[in-house]
Amino acid sequence: MKIVVCVGTGGVGKTSVAAAMALAQARAGAKCLVLTTDPALRLKTALGLKDGLHEQRVAVADAKGELWAAQLDVNATLDDAVLLHAKPANREKILQHPIYRTIAGSLAGMQELMAVERIDQLIRRGFDNIVVDTAPSRHALDTFDKPVLFADFSDSGKVRFVSRTYKFAEAIGLTGVGRGALEIYSRAESIFGTNMVRQILDFYSLFYPIAEGYSERARKTVAMLRDPAVTEFRVVTIPSKAVRDAGFFLEQLKKRKFATGMICVNRTWLHAMPEMAVAGLAAELLDWYRGVSDSQASAIAKMTEAHGSQVREIRVLHELERDVDGVESLRALAVQLEPEPLRATP
Amino acid sequence: MDGSARLVIFCGKGGVGKTTLSLAAGLQHATQGRKVLVVSSHPLSELALAVSLEGLSARFPAAAQNLFVLHIDPKDLIADVVHKYFPVPVMARKILDSSLFTNLIEVAPGLKEFFFLGRMQELSERVKNNSASDVPEYDYLIWDAPASGHFLSTLRSAKSFEVFLTGPLAAAGAQIHRFFSSSGNIQLFPVTPLEEMAIAETLDIATAMTKDFDVTCSAVLVNCASPLCDAPESEIAALEAVRNSSPAMRFAVERGLLERERLAELRARLPLPQVLVPRINHSSNDLDLLVRIGGGMDLSRFA
Repeated sequence: MKIVVCVGTGGVGKTSVAAAMALAQARAGAKCLVLTTDPALRLKTALGLKDGLHEQRVAVADAKGELWAAQLDVNATLDDAVLLHAKPANREKILQHPIYRTIAGSLAGMQELMAVERIDQLIRRGFDNIVVDTAPSRHALDTFDKPVLFADFSDSGKVRFVSRTYKFAEAIGLTGVGRGALEIYSRAESIFGTNMVRQILDFYSLFYPIAEGYSERARKTVAMLRDPAVTEFRVVTIPSKAVRDAGFFLEQLKKRKFATGMICVNRTWLHAMPEMAVAGLAAELLDWYRGVSDSQASAIAKMTEAHGSQVREIRVLHELERDVDGVESLRALAVQLEPEPLRATP
Repeated sequence: MDGSARLVIFCGKGGVGKTTLSLAAGLQHATQGRKVLVVSSHPLSELALAVSLEGLSARFPAAAQNLFVLHIDPKDLIADVVHKYFPVPVMARKILDSSLFTNLIEVAPGLKEFFFLGRMQELSERVKNNSASDVPEYDYLIWDAPASGHFLSTLRSAKSFEVFLTGPLAAAGAQIHRFFSSSGNIQLFPVTPLEEMAIAETLDIATAMTKDFDVTCSAVLVNCASPLCDAPESEIAALEAVRNSSPAMRFAVERGLLERERLAELRARLPLPQVLVPRINHSSNDLDLLVRIGGGMDLSRFA
């Protein structure tokens, strides 16, 4: 099995490129799944994606393999984990907890943790290849830092300690507030209000066993993402951002010991300029195209000079005339990505 | 900025050019002698990755004197609160350094956003305004907001504090929510290229701002517009003849026509003034780009 992880900033078409990479691999014979976060509506429709924890087979006319798609649904993944790992008596308590949804949406690292949890689920479903589309941000790599942080957080026994302290304080009616953590807890409470602090601690005392289960698996999954025999990271960018994105992501990936194989420059306007002379608006339009095209070419050259030696290859993709609105337009991107350098090793 | 809003916000999807347009507007005002503060959602160490102000003081010394760029880390704001609450520094340090406290801050829903919003209001009150009696520190305050989802959840944090908490934080929540629910205080410019998702998020922001905050956006900044966006119909028809003459021409025409359709659809669904910001060939450096964009984008008429 091979895993490809696409990283990139917003607006570069990362989700479409990830889906096209999966399609290219399916065309070459692999059973390949693309895991997307937040796809555009048209792409979502094209891939038949629904909210929840479904993997959807996408019909592709001439593929030797299979294309599958799944979406990262943080809420559904979390609910699933609660049902799976919480003690039966605690399941409803957690799901009905007043801050469960808020926490699920805003807890630092929750989205990241769920992404890794979902990768772990999918790894066990028998796909040859998985292409992961990360959240569109310079901080996307936190996806693979945070689960580890979260693991450290729950392992350090802090949560257990806090929840015990909290239960103890409850039992004695918060009168015996003394020293150490309890003292600090009471101070946090006096600053931020009783409700919030109590609710958080209460929630943690329920949630802790689940976090523990997660963390164990998250560590294993992140270790697999660090194994260059299994996982290849790819930087997806556009010409105007190419130099900066490549520099930034290559450094960040190297720092985290992830292997980068490809820089993919999407949405290029690099068609050859026509010989034919035109006038009026057409000339203005062509001038405009030429200006963008020239600056893109020089940006790509600059990026290649600075970073080309650090990756196996740089792929340049023409921007499509229309949005990716179906498997057909996805194919137009996919053929530009062929031959896919990663072969499945069943 | 007589009578105008105190806080000008550039919002929209990630990667649409909020930072570029914020800095272009800021630089424009600074060049005209106004003192400008841009609060960026990018930490300053990463700002240059989005758009660089390198060489500003050499090329525009006057503007460099007037233009301030700031990133606010909510954790620092919370530390300030703790220091105020515990005037003995050793005690404050002990609390701030405790992992329990750090974890509480990390997970408390909306806490960081709430403190950030409080600081934005505070900064807004330092902006020159006819009704203000205090000494203004800035003539113009720009918030280069985070991407749509995080932007809205930041704005909503004040209301949540009002609803879910009691005591001083709830009162502060109510007061901050009131501030951000007045067109007299904030002025909103969603930024969008003519792309499906960016437009969808623009519509979401506009709807949410009207519904939850009773604030109407001032204008939509249509970024990276093609020359076809504002061309007359007669000239558009003439393109048919050359449309398939080459792959470059076909792409440019298709793209331009698609953008025209989307612009009209955006206008129909969101009847606000539209400011076209042309797609500029990447200039040799970011300052040239900012100057060209800023010069073509006059937002003071929406004051």
